[in-house]
Amino acid sequence: MKRWDKGWRLALRTAIAVFAAVLFLFPIYWLAAISIKSPDEIFAYPPVWVPGGFDISSYITLFRDGDAWAVWHSLVTAGVSTVLAMLFGTLAAYSIVRYRTGGDNLAIWIISQRMIPPICIAFPVFLLFVSWQIVDTYTGLILLYTAFNIPYVTWMMRGYLQEIPLELEQSALVDGLSRWAVLWKVVLPMARAGLFATAVFTFIFAWNEFLFALILTGSEVVTYTVKVTGYFGSQSTFWSKIGAMSMLGVLPMIFVVGTMQRFIVRGISMGAVKG
Amino acid sequence: MAQAPVRSGIADNELAFKYLLIAPAIFILLLIGLYPFVKLIVVSFQNISMFDDIRSFQGFIHYERLFEDVRLWESLLHTALFTLVALPIELVLGYLLALLFLQKLPFKQILVAVILLPIVIAPIVAGSTWRLMLDQRFGPINQVIGWFAGGDVKLLWTVDPLLVWPAIMIAEVWQWTPFMFLILLAALSNVDQEQLEAAEMDGASRWMTFRKIILPAIAPVMFIAVLIRALDLFRLFDVIWTMTQGGPGTRTETISIYAYQMAFREFEISYSAAIAFLVIFVLTVVVVLALRRVEVAR
Amino acid sequence: MKSILIARRAFLASAAGAVAIVAGTLPALAQSAADRAVEAAKQYSGTTINVLYEAGLQPLDPKNFTGPMWEELTGIKVNVIESPLPEIFTKTMQAHRAGSGAYDVLNVVPNQMPDLALAGALEPLDAYVEKYGFADELQTIAPVYRDNQMKVEGKIYGFPDDGDTLVLYYRKDLFEDPENQAEFKAKYGYDLGPPQTWEQFGEIGQFMTDKYAPEIYGAGLLRQPGNAQYMFQERFRTEGGEFFDEETMKATVNSEAGLKVFNQMLEENKWMPPGVEQWGFIEAFNALLAGDIAMTVSWPPVGRWAAGYGKGTEALSWIPETTVADKIGYALPPGNNPELAVGFSLGVASGSKNKEAAYLFIQWMNSEDISIQRVQLPYALRDPFRDSHFTNEEYRSRWSNADEYLDTLKAGAESGLLDLSLLQTDRYEEGLRQAISSLWGGDDPQTILDDLAGQWDELTERIGVDEQRRVYSDWASKPNAYPN
Repeated sequence: MKRWDKGWRLALRTAIAVFAAVLFLFPIYWLAAISIKSPDEIFAYPPVWVPGGFDISSYITLFRDGDAWAVWHSLVTAGVSTVLAMLFGTLAAYSIVRYRTGGDNLAIWIISQRMIPPICIAFPVFLLFVSWQIVDTYTGLILLYTAFNIPYVTWMMRGYLQEIPLELEQSALVDGLSRWAVLWKVVLPMARAGLFATAVFTFIFAWNEFLFALILTGSEVVTYTVKVTGYFGSQSTFWSKIGAMSMLGVLPMIFVVGTMQRFIVRGISMGAVKG
Repeated sequence: MAQAPVRSGIADNELAFKYLLIAPAIFILLLIGLYPFVKLIVVSFQNISMFDDIRSFQGFIHYERLFEDVRLWESLLHTALFTLVALPIELVLGYLLALLFLQKLPFKQILVAVILLPIVIAPIVAGSTWRLMLDQRFGPINQVIGWFAGGDVKLLWTVDPLLVWPAIMIAEVWQWTPFMFLILLAALSNVDQEQLEAAEMDGASRWMTFRKIILPAIAPVMFIAVLIRALDLFRLFDVIWTMTQGGPGTRTETISIYAYQMAFREFEISYSAAIAFLVIFVLTVVVVLALRRVEVAR
Repeated sequence: MKSILIARRAFLASAAGAVAIVAGTLPALAQSAADRAVEAAKQYSGTTINVLYEAGLQPLDPKNFTGPMWEELTGIKVNVIESPLPEIFTKTMQAHRAGSGAYDVLNVVPNQMPDLALAGALEPLDAYVEKYGFADELQTIAPVYRDNQMKVEGKIYGFPDDGDTLVLYYRKDLFEDPENQAEFKAKYGYDLGPPQTWEQFGEIGQFMTDKYAPEIYGAGLLRQPGNAQYMFQERFRTEGGEFFDEETMKATVNSEAGLKVFNQMLEENKWMPPGVEQWGFIEAFNALLAGDIAMTVSWPPVGRWAAGYGKGTEALSWIPETTVADKIGYALPPGNNPELAVGFSLGVASGSKNKEAAYLFIQWMNSEDISIQRVQLPYALRDPFRDSHFTNEEYRSRWSNADEYLDTLKAGAESGLLDLSLLQTDRYEEGLRQAISSLWGGDDPQTILDDLAGQWDELTERIGVDEQRRVYSDWASKPNAYPN
């Protein structure tokens, strides 16, 4: 392939990738702009694309009023529940893939936990938590999110683990490794890309969760989704705070996603699919 | 191949091992899920609502009501149609994007991070932001369309029955295509390079390569991703609630919105429990069928 | 503002101290209800009471003003739990059903009070009112709120705490402009002024739009179904409509009156800014402040904030600069029967573990002494609801035509119409909301109304015709249920 031909294709690909990125970024840009716009600009007609000033007072307010703690609450609940869900879910996935534990029925039962519209069991869960006295606590939310994400992790890792050739494990067993060692030293490293992708989304699902957080929190561990919703009042809408809080919420996610996706992307560039 | 000594007593080891692996997950699922699930069943046979608290067995009255409830079936229809349209769009777009990113690209990590941002915005906020962006007066979208159309346009995205579903679709696809993108990116990264190179050297067409090598390799993951996404789409609530509240009328009411009305606003605890079971039943049937087809295909 | 409040706080504290000393020698009646509450509450010093408030600006009252003051006076901590408005009812009921005792003080939307009271979620307050001598001050709440937002079946379940009423705001400068007046009179034959009927509203709006669009439109109303349903309730009754036939309990919302209102609303949309069907409180409010509309009908805070009241307060920093301060006139909406839309009453949860402390807090908040301060807070969403609020000299001098504002609110409190209140009101309202969204969606108005009536009839059947008739008749017999 001629040099300029390759360069041209690269440029085209880059252009498309950048265009896609811009499309996905635009609403977030709009939110970010709102967070620094003056109130006049937020509801200006015609709409203001580039804020005239750089008004970060909303951010300051969030920290000063303690609203920013909501981001921390979300971080803790989402983070811990992700670790737990990844741990238990991946082990369960391995058991299902390698040993067909429980057969199809168990696997279906596990995924059925994700079929129930949260609204329908919100109240029974609330009753349960009231009786255990874990309403409005970290424990309660973490338990709940772990339980809700285990099915996702189990099924996703089931898929990724199925991609790994059996021979690898068998030869490792033959080499004298114990089953645990095979799992930790051979299988999981191979599934690393999948592990990270799953972890990212498990975290995101817990992070974005709204309904249970609304029901199960009061004033102690109000998560960021519930806090943000509170900015939509019947006679007030704190768009600036909504934007600022959303940006605060995005930052940890950028960090999480940023570190994680390196592992996924790196695995790819080691053997790029030509085309 | 000689059997290594470690394989003696394998039956016991394997049994213990496999159950040990799955035990914590099952424990937590039961801990949190069992009581609500059982309570849901029990409640669906009682008569609990805002004023009634009748705990005795009421028979199947709520289940009978399900069949007569036109609004319920309409909402199921909306949900199913929406899922069937949004899912392929997200899948195809996600796949194409993933392909794009498999190849060499400058700033790849930054671009990937940017593309993943939509998922990170709480759906409530995403819906509200799109609602604002699609506003006739205060949103940029109509403004941009006006530039291309040569004048001011009047598009009431959240009010006009013809525009509401596209509006919701845009918001939803925007937010979740990146999900497919990343999942498939990870899956495609594990495709066996040697096979691909061999195929290329053999002169196989792009389509053949896809069908015979790539697709089988990513199928397990893709299947799960599609399943998860389908289940989530089925429970779609936040985006629709913030954009149209199920309106105009009940045109964009999905099963979750209807369940929300029943369970939260109208406090029909027993009836919404029956609805929950209908949903679980329908989804289980779909999942089981889908599973069987996939297993058979393999 | 803050220095005034601190000074007031100090004054109150010292006044309370002074009264306490004197009270030792005078009979209890010499004390105000507020002071009595403070005295009695001191025995609960150290406890924490949980108060449930609508998220947004409302919690600033207990968080920044009443909460700290109460703690200082009594030693009781106030913990504020916020919830989006649509979820308040749900959370209250769920806490009640689960017996969680999570809330002590509740904010109750008055037309939901029957539901909550009959479900047992609210504590009857008569005994406490008697014990702490609050009956007199309850009596001085403006009659329309006092008589309709306090009791269910004869028992007190909440103290009306918010004089919500929908008011017409109009651009005095445009209305008083001599050229406009001459042109309008020539074209329509009557003097330009706040519209007395909805037909006039249509004509004035069309006139303004014809002359000034696209810079200024005749009006921008709250057309989003959640808000518009209140306007429909008001206009429907002003046109003579009745919600139900009291004998049969059949819904009659699809009568001629209903159709007329729907058609009028559709006509009005034509001269209002494009996209008005999506407008809620914030959009209309912003448009008024930016000078884009000549009229709107909305809640009382608009009047205060449009006049620039509270400008510079941090809590209100999200409000754009008002370009129309001193230009806004106040009037009752056409028909002169404004909807007393939403509102709040303060109540005590039946499952509370600190009932008496909670009760004393609400008595104190609702009292003459404290409530007059609360309704004047710059970020207050609580609107004047006591007779004394409307005539308060300090309030009346807060901006150039604040007296006009309070007079209008007072008039509204006399002729206003109550929100429809039945068993499971929210379900009926939901039907109405959906009907309005269908209207904007382009469906035929008569069909929509017929469907709505059918829906309401089904609901009534399911809930029980006789039970519903009982509650409806009780409501309909109130002087402010239908215009006289």
